[in-house]
Amino acid sequence: MIRRVSLVVMLVIIFGFFVFSILDLEAFFSTFGKDYFFENGLSETGSVNLVTGIYLDYRLFDSLFEAGLLIAAVSGVTWISQHEITEKNATFMLDRQSTPTLFVTFSRLVYPFMLMFGIYVILFGHVSPGGGFQGGAIVATAILILYYIDVQKATSIDKILTIEKILFLTIIGVGSISFFTKGTFFTNPFDLSASEQVKAIYLITLNALIGIKVALGLVAIFTAFLKEGR
Amino acid sequence: MNDFLAQIPIFLVFIPVVFSIIIYLFKAKWTTYLSFVSQVLLLIAFFAYLSFWRLHPGDHLLVFGGWSERIGISFFHDGLSLTFSFLAIFIFSVILMYLFKFRRKDHKFFFFFLFLEGIFLGMIQTNDLFNMFVFLELTTVLVTVLISYQKSGPSFQAGIYYLLLNTVGALFFLIGIVFLYNVFGTINIRVLQELIGTQGDRTVVKFAYVIMMSGISVKAALFPLFTWLPKAHGVAQSGISALLSGLVVKGALYVLIRMERFLFVEAGFHMNELFFWIGVVTAIVGVTFAISQKDMKQILAYHTVSQVGIMMMGISQIGLTPFYGGVLHIINHALFKSLLFLGAGILIKHYQTKKVYEIKGALKTFPIVAVMLIIAMLSISGAPLFNGFVSKSMIKYAVKGNFIKEALFFLINLGTVTSFIKFSSVLFGPKAILVKEKNPLQIISIIVLGLSCLGIGLFYQVIASSIFGITISTNLWEISHFLDYGLFLVIGFLFYRFVVKKDYLPFQKIRHFKLTFESANYMFVVYLLVVLGVVFL
Repeated sequence: MIRRVSLVVMLVIIFGFFVFSILDLEAFFSTFGKDYFFENGLSETGSVNLVTGIYLDYRLFDSLFEAGLLIAAVSGVTWISQHEITEKNATFMLDRQSTPTLFVTFSRLVYPFMLMFGIYVILFGHVSPGGGFQGGAIVATAILILYYIDVQKATSIDKILTIEKILFLTIIGVGSISFFTKGTFFTNPFDLSASEQVKAIYLITLNALIGIKVALGLVAIFTAFLKEGR
Repeated sequence: MNDFLAQIPIFLVFIPVVFSIIIYLFKAKWTTYLSFVSQVLLLIAFFAYLSFWRLHPGDHLLVFGGWSERIGISFFHDGLSLTFSFLAIFIFSVILMYLFKFRRKDHKFFFFFLFLEGIFLGMIQTNDLFNMFVFLELTTVLVTVLISYQKSGPSFQAGIYYLLLNTVGALFFLIGIVFLYNVFGTINIRVLQELIGTQGDRTVVKFAYVIMMSGISVKAALFPLFTWLPKAHGVAQSGISALLSGLVVKGALYVLIRMERFLFVEAGFHMNELFFWIGVVTAIVGVTFAISQKDMKQILAYHTVSQVGIMMMGISQIGLTPFYGGVLHIINHALFKSLLFLGAGILIKHYQTKKVYEIKGALKTFPIVAVMLIIAMLSISGAPLFNGFVSKSMIKYAVKGNFIKEALFFLINLGTVTSFIKFSSVLFGPKAILVKEKNPLQIISIIVLGLSCLGIGLFYQVIASSIFGITISTNLWEISHFLDYGLFLVIGFLFYRFVVKKDYLPFQKIRHFKLTFESANYMFVVYLLVVLGVVFL
């Protein structure tokens, strides 16, 4: 009891310091980064969506390793949850009796639209809100709906992981092309003065690769958890 | 050509990463041998870069994508980062040699292992705070997988404990980054260093400093946040333990140095005393726990905690002799602690037990391993002519002239000597009859580590002047050093014989002391509050 009370007291004090520090932010801040991206973002990266411009161009190196984080996490989860029993589908988790027919029907209706929406978010990530990471998550959700529609569906995690890793290598490769055209790693390989349409080729390629990779990774994690939750 | 050479730091990150994926993808028998190819390529790349750096000494900045320094991500190289890069490559190579025979057919293991190497090298080189956070997270995830690689109940528990506690720390680090970006509009460490210098005395900057330092302290295993470390060592394999103690903890200390010595150095917070005392407490607590343990790996694990404390005592004195001593001690500790873990691993594997008192006669059964263990023990306890001696006597400058500090330093040393006298009981006794496994690579790996301990101990002057550009004026052969060490040995032995070996109740209590995850988080809040109080008041 004393511990809980003291914990609350300490957290309140820390929060007090936090608020006290935040007050300073009103007078003391810099908009350097924001201004720079507003002014030069579109012309330099060719992306209307500045977020995409940042993560696919200015800070591509970070994005590579955020994709790498997903790879490491997926491989780790599947390694940890691997069991000797080989079960190819999720029947133990969901059987037809417990999944209402209405739900299955609606899932069938929704499935194509979700898939299409996800692909749209990926491919138009450089002109409208979205991008590879977000779209990939939507596509993964769409694919996971299949588990409700077709209970017998079998997913081979190993195959998914293999494709995912090849995609990761490809992303690194695409990111490195600029070394041969511009002499510097991890940026748009096309010239800075190229038109938006030309630069978009690079953005769409990378977004698509990242999107597929993220979708596969999430599907693999979910499948691993399904097998685990038996 | 120079353009290409300047890009080598990128290859230091991507060679192991790409090889790790290739090994994962092609599951043929020979692919695991590619891990050695990767190490050789890394060494070639490193030395090519080193010679390039020698031609153009100074600070090297490599900005990706050709953007301005304030916008893009950059890598940064000075003497310190090059030293740590080499240390990382070296330790990874040695541990790879040690593990290789046992793991030869395990492609997934090599994937995690080499991926971690690439990430670790990235963390050392990066000059961007958010990039550093990404690498910190990646190391956390990969180390979690490696800790729980055995897939048993306790190993999952330890892995999750490590993952959660370190994620808490990393999130605090991230909040600090958000603050700094909001205030200065950039997260480039070098640019921030200048900006903080001009307007550092703001409460936001102070708050950011506090939460970033507290966050990284979890990973560095400072008191009272070290509880994940012994748990992880209890379940991890010896090779992984060596990696964890020898390198991963050092990575966090390196980030701490980057924060203290570079990012916030101009702000003038003068936190030397605070971190010095945190170091002292960490060292004493670690060594107390170590004395009371009976499990070989737990002794070594708690020693890592106490040695981290000693390193902190050195590192906290920025720009003075103890600081360089602390950095040198990081390198030395990486060598002898890996050696201890690897040597202990061989013994544990053959004797099938971890209990110190059940292993006997290592000197006669495994002469090479035993000799290397003796070298490591002499190094860690600070015997003259071995590498631990040099760095410890440099750190000693931090306590000179203050009686309490000198007494505490004496106590820490005494504790170290005592617990290694306890540890050395595995060496003596009759020859044990065991089935010996031939593994020349393993033997080579520990011999390499042992020789490098000796090498740094004897040629420290060359090493110190080439890394830090300073000259150390300690005379190795002075008779008083040997007398001092002899005194330590005698007192330590008496203490061991008449106090520790009796296993009184306090020792048993300490041995069975376990901190739950809740308490660990409670301690984190307390730690945060203490640092907050000291910085603000």
